[in-house]
This record gives sequence, C-alpha cells and structure tokens, in this order.
Amino acid sequence: MRSRLWIGLAGFAVLALVIAALPRFISDFRARELAIVGMYFIALLGLSVLTGYSGQISLGHGAFMAIGGYTTAVLSVDGIYGHQIRDLWTIPIAGMVAGVAGLLVGLPALRLSGLYLALITFGIAVSLPQLPKKFDQFLGGTTGKILNLAKPPFGLATTANNWIYYLTWGIALVLLVAAWLLVGSKAGRALKAVRDSEVAATSSGVSLATYKTLAFGISAFYAGIAGSLYAIANAYVNPDVFPIILSVYLVVGLAVGGLESLVGLIAGAGLIYFLQNHADSVAGWINHLPVFNLDPKQPGIPSMIFGVVLIVVMLLVPTGVGGLVRRAFGPLTSRLYTRS
Amino acid sequence: MGGRIIFACAIVAAVAATSAGARPSATPGVSATEIHLGSSVPLSGEAAIAGNVARGIDAYFKYVNDKGGVFGRKLTLTYLDDGYDPGRAVNNTIRLIQQEQVLAVFSSLGTSNNLAVRKLLNDAKVPQLYVSSGATTFGRDYKKYPWTIGYIPPYSEEGELYGRYVVKNVKKPKIAVLYQNDDYGRDLLAGLKRGLGARAKSIVASVGYDPTSADVQPQVTQLKASKANVLMVFAFGKFSLQAFNAVSRLAWKPQIFVNDVSSASALMAIVPQKAANGSISIVFGKDPAAPLWRNDKGIKLFQSILKKYGSSVNSRDLQDGYFTAGMATAYTMVDTLRKAGKNLTRQSVMNAATHLNEKGNPFVLPGIVIRTTPSSRFPLTQVRLQRWSNNSWHPFGKLISAKP
Repeated sequence: MRSRLWIGLAGFAVLALVIAALPRFISDFRARELAIVGMYFIALLGLSVLTGYSGQISLGHGAFMAIGGYTTAVLSVDGIYGHQIRDLWTIPIAGMVAGVAGLLVGLPALRLSGLYLALITFGIAVSLPQLPKKFDQFLGGTTGKILNLAKPPFGLATTANNWIYYLTWGIALVLLVAAWLLVGSKAGRALKAVRDSEVAATSSGVSLATYKTLAFGISAFYAGIAGSLYAIANAYVNPDVFPIILSVYLVVGLAVGGLESLVGLIAGAGLIYFLQNHADSVAGWINHLPVFNLDPKQPGIPSMIFGVVLIVVMLLVPTGVGGLVRRAFGPLTSRLYTRS
Repeated sequence: MGGRIIFACAIVAAVAATSAGARPSATPGVSATEIHLGSSVPLSGEAAIAGNVARGIDAYFKYVNDKGGVFGRKLTLTYLDDGYDPGRAVNNTIRLIQQEQVLAVFSSLGTSNNLAVRKLLNDAKVPQLYVSSGATTFGRDYKKYPWTIGYIPPYSEEGELYGRYVVKNVKKPKIAVLYQNDDYGRDLLAGLKRGLGARAKSIVASVGYDPTSADVQPQVTQLKASKANVLMVFAFGKFSLQAFNAVSRLAWKPQIFVNDVSSASALMAIVPQKAANGSISIVFGKDPAAPLWRNDKGIKLFQSILKKYGSSVNSRDLQDGYFTAGMATAYTMVDTLRKAGKNLTRQSVMNAATHLNEKGNPFVLPGIVIRTTPSSRFPLTQVRLQRWSNNSWHPFGKLISAKP
C-alpha cells in the first residue's frame, strides 16, 4: 500500500508542476480554455465517485452544476440582505448548496438503480432549468443574471484568464487529492462494494443508505463547485447555460476518461471541451484523409463530427483513457506493488 | 563578455520587434490589407439552421473582396459555433476579441446569447453590431451600453402593428394569444396590448407555453374554447408548426397572425394549408422562396453571389431566407465600414453605425431606408404586412413604421 502513496505523490507532483508552468507557454486565451477544461474535470471527478466507484448512474449532473452556478450568481449579484459576496467566496457555498441538493436526490436513489435512477436524474436535468423561469424575479428568468466580470483579487498582477485558470486548477488539484484519498479509504472500499454487489455489501455490514446518499452528496458538491466556476468565468447564467446536453457530455467525458481513473478524467474533460469548440480543427484533420470533404461551417456538421469522433475514441479505447494508461503502465506499477 | 553582447542585442531586437509589431495593431482587426470581424452563431443543436445567416454574410464579404474590398482592405468573418448556448457564446466572444483580435463582433445570434456578452463587449469597448435579435433592449439601452446596436424591428413593435391592424380591420374582434413564455413571447404580447389600446379587452384568452414543452396542442385547444375569431401565434419554430396543425385538426377558423421569426416560407409551406391560408405576418426582407421576387434584381444578385462564393451550398440554400437575411446585414456592414472611412477605429465604426442613412439595400423590401442616429438605434424599422395564400407570402399595403 505504501507504493500506491508514492506513485500517487510523484504523479501528483508532476501534474501540479505541469499545471503551474503551462500558462507560460500558451496564449492568454488558451489558459481560459484550459480553465474550462478544469471545470469539466472537477464535475467529472464527482461523477466518477458516483458512477465509477459507487455504480450509480446520473444523467443529471448538469443540474447540479446549474445549482452551483445560480448560487454564485445570486450571492454575487444580489447578495444576502443587499450585501454582495465576492465571487471567490461564493464557490464553497455553491458546492455545499449543490451537495445538499445531491443528498436529497440521493434519497429516492436508494430505491432505484440502473436505468430507473438514470431516468430520475435525467428528469432533474430537464426540469430544474424551469425553476429560474418560474421565479424570474429572484433568478432572472430567461434573461438570466449578469455577473461582474472576473478580476484577479488582492491586486494580483495577472490577466483575468490566468486568474481563472489558476483558481480552477488550484481547486481541481485539491479536489483531486480529496477524491483520491476518499476512494482509497474505508469509505471508498465500501462504495466499491456497493457497486459490485449490494447484497454482498449489506451482508458485510456496509450501510447501503449511508453510502449511496453520501456518494450523491459528494458528487453533487463537486458539480456545484464546477458550476460556480463556470458562472464566474462566463459572468452570466441563464437556463440555457446549463442545457440538458451538458449532463450527457459529462457522462461522455466520464466514459472517455475511464470509469475508475481519476487523472484520466482530464482527458475526458479535454475531449468534451475540444469537440464542442474546435470541430473545425477536427474537420481539417479528417479532410486530410482521401474522400472526405467536410465543411465545419455547415449547420449540423459540428454535431456530426462530435458523434463520429466519440465512436472512434470508444472503439480505440473502450476502457477510457484511464484504462489505457493502466494497461500501458500496469506491468511497471504492479511490479512495484509486489515488491513492497 | 560575448554572452553579454549577445544578450544586449537580443534585448534590442526584442524591443524593436515589439514596437514594430505594435504599429499595425493600433486598431485590432484592421491592417493595411484586411478588416477582421467576428460572430457567434449556432451551427449545432436545435437552432443550427439559423447559422446560415453567418454563411450568407461570409459569401457576401467574399463577393465584396472580389470587387476590391473596402478601401482596398479585404473583409474576413470568423464565425464560431455556440450551439445556441449563451455560455459558449461568451467563450466564443472572448476568443474573438483576444485570440482572433477582431475589430468588432457582428450579427451574433440570439437574445440570451447577446445579452450574455453585452457587458463584457462594452467594458472592452468592442462594438457589438447589428445584433441578430428583436429584443427591444439592444436598441433602447444605448446609454448604458453605448457599444451595442440592434438590427431587425423590435418584437414589441411587431406586436403593436398586429394590434393596430386588428382594431382597424376586424369587426368585433375576440383575440386568442398563444405565446412563448419568455422575453420574446412576452415582448410581442405586450406590444399587441399597446397596439389594441382601448380595445385591449378584446383579448379573450392568452396562454403561454414553455420553450421546452413537447407540444402546444393543449394550449390551442384551450384557446379555441374561448370562441375567439383571431389567433396570434407568437411561437417559434416547431411550436408554430404545431399550432397550425392543431388549428386545422380542431377545425377552427380564426384569422391567424404569425410572428415574423416563424413565418419562413419553408415552414408555412408544410403546415395544413386550410389553417395557413389567409394568415398575416410582417415582412422586411426579400423572401427568396416567394414567386414575387423571382425576377427581382436583388434576389438574382443574392443567388449568383451564393452560388459563386458560398461554401458547400445546395439548391435549397438558394431559397433559404436566413442567407438573404445575412446578406442584408452584410450589405449594411459594408456600408458602415465605408462610412467609417480609411482610418478605421472601433470608435469610427460605432460612429458610422449610429449615423446610417442607407437606401437601396437590395436584400430588403424596396423603399426601406435603414436609418440610425446616436439616440435611435433601430436600423430596420419599416415593414409591410403580408398574407399567405397559394403557397407563398404576398405583401400588401404600404410600408409602415415599426419604430419604437
């Protein structure tokens, strides 16, 4: 078990260094793009705890991002009793509000599993965006809520994009460590037991109710943080900012990243950002092949590219990027494990 | 010693490079040979088809470039897909300003998508030109957002015109209203009430639907029960289609008014003609599908430009009103850039955009003058009414003002 810790620490140090140094080598806008990738990554970490480790499927995590985003918007625009709260401090609150919502959703999840649970969560993703329309005085309706543009605090001499980048990835690294510790802990093993066999888990003294709801709460907390950061980065929320398709993208990111790999999720997050925003580059590469002549500026073509690339990726790496990495480095690390 | 000299040379070179690089970028997006504009439109998702507006603009710019550009500068349009998601529109707009270094953001599509970026564009003093949305706020709130200007007639005015028409032409009107329950539908409804004035009580029923609903048949059934003889369809896309279907299925025969954004010929042609015939709407752009314009110079120009300069264009696109709408805006944009002069700055572009007096835009109805002043930022405020019959729209009456 010792070696798991060392491999983890070494990997984490490398990751942190790369993240810290990266903005020096890329343009200011690329830093912003990577920040959004970081937000997807945070949401995926939470989803991984829920789906990858406790085996519960959620098609509604975009809704928890929306809860986080709206919490930040309301607190930083309207504030509490007229006292506006700096966007930075709304992030943990947004996470907690979403987390509580997640616990509540976790309760019916006790009675449902598999497809039925997926449907319930999908229902949440569909219905939740209606709330801001119902309470438009408070939540801005379809017009939405406009936040103040993100600015580096404490007089930090950096650009807004770099600030959002460091903020997001700083939080992402902390949450990565937290998730890593969680899945390696007693609670993590209990979650896996619930996933693999509920009967076996119960008979070994694992409380299904506790762990299933807990998994929902934790993953919603992560999504809330991600949504809060997304609202800060865009300085705008309305129901369309958290569309139903966002929840689907998150599941896609999870599958691409690998169900049981935390770091692999960075690849999943990167892919869902990239395919949404750089379909034209993908089309450029595809057009190098004979026969193909895609015009990415034709309506509908970007969606088609998204679908095709996804199919190809899943054919090439069916266990996700995380699974691929494990297969590549598996022999090495397993030797380390057996030595200790 | 040698190292130090090299180091000094490097600094000199670096300083020289930055100062040399600084000169042409005095105004972002403008060089001796190029004017670079940007736009965020849906090319994926439910509203993807509306992205053809940007493709129309792109084709028109290439046509202008072939004729020498604007003061010798070629026009380029970078348009990015936002899937009709305001979050992605924000990201696209920031990319256009920071990465693509555009002179101005132009003809981005959608009310929320433009609302989402209005503040950041105004803070950065980047013009937000000819917004592709009829929300009144883009033309009205110029004091707070001086870098923003709309383009098409505001929805509220459209509603008002229908109201005034009913007062004048319908005996004992009993009006039923189907509206989309968001800013767009409510803008139209509020305008209608204003247009009816003292007769606002003749609205006997109004039912909103949510944009995420599956079908509006229940709402239409409810409206029919009110025994109204006039039906306002303030619905968008598929909902408008469903409304016509429901009216036909219920064998209801009201005088229908359908709002401009749902009145595309392609849509009207596929709904039950029993219900569609006699419907009234407003019009300001030339409809390439209408037989009326088959031999029109403007539409012929449109089709020849699209064939020659459009990318992956098919024969259906030549009848697609989104492309003409794009070219109409592009025509005004070229006009604006000419007016802004050779020394192009963001300020001079904004000045030109708020001092328009454009006659003879070949892609809008004859006689329409596109006029703006710094305190009147609704470029297109003249419309005609049109009636649907024999599978196409037929404009009637004179040009009327839709100026707020």
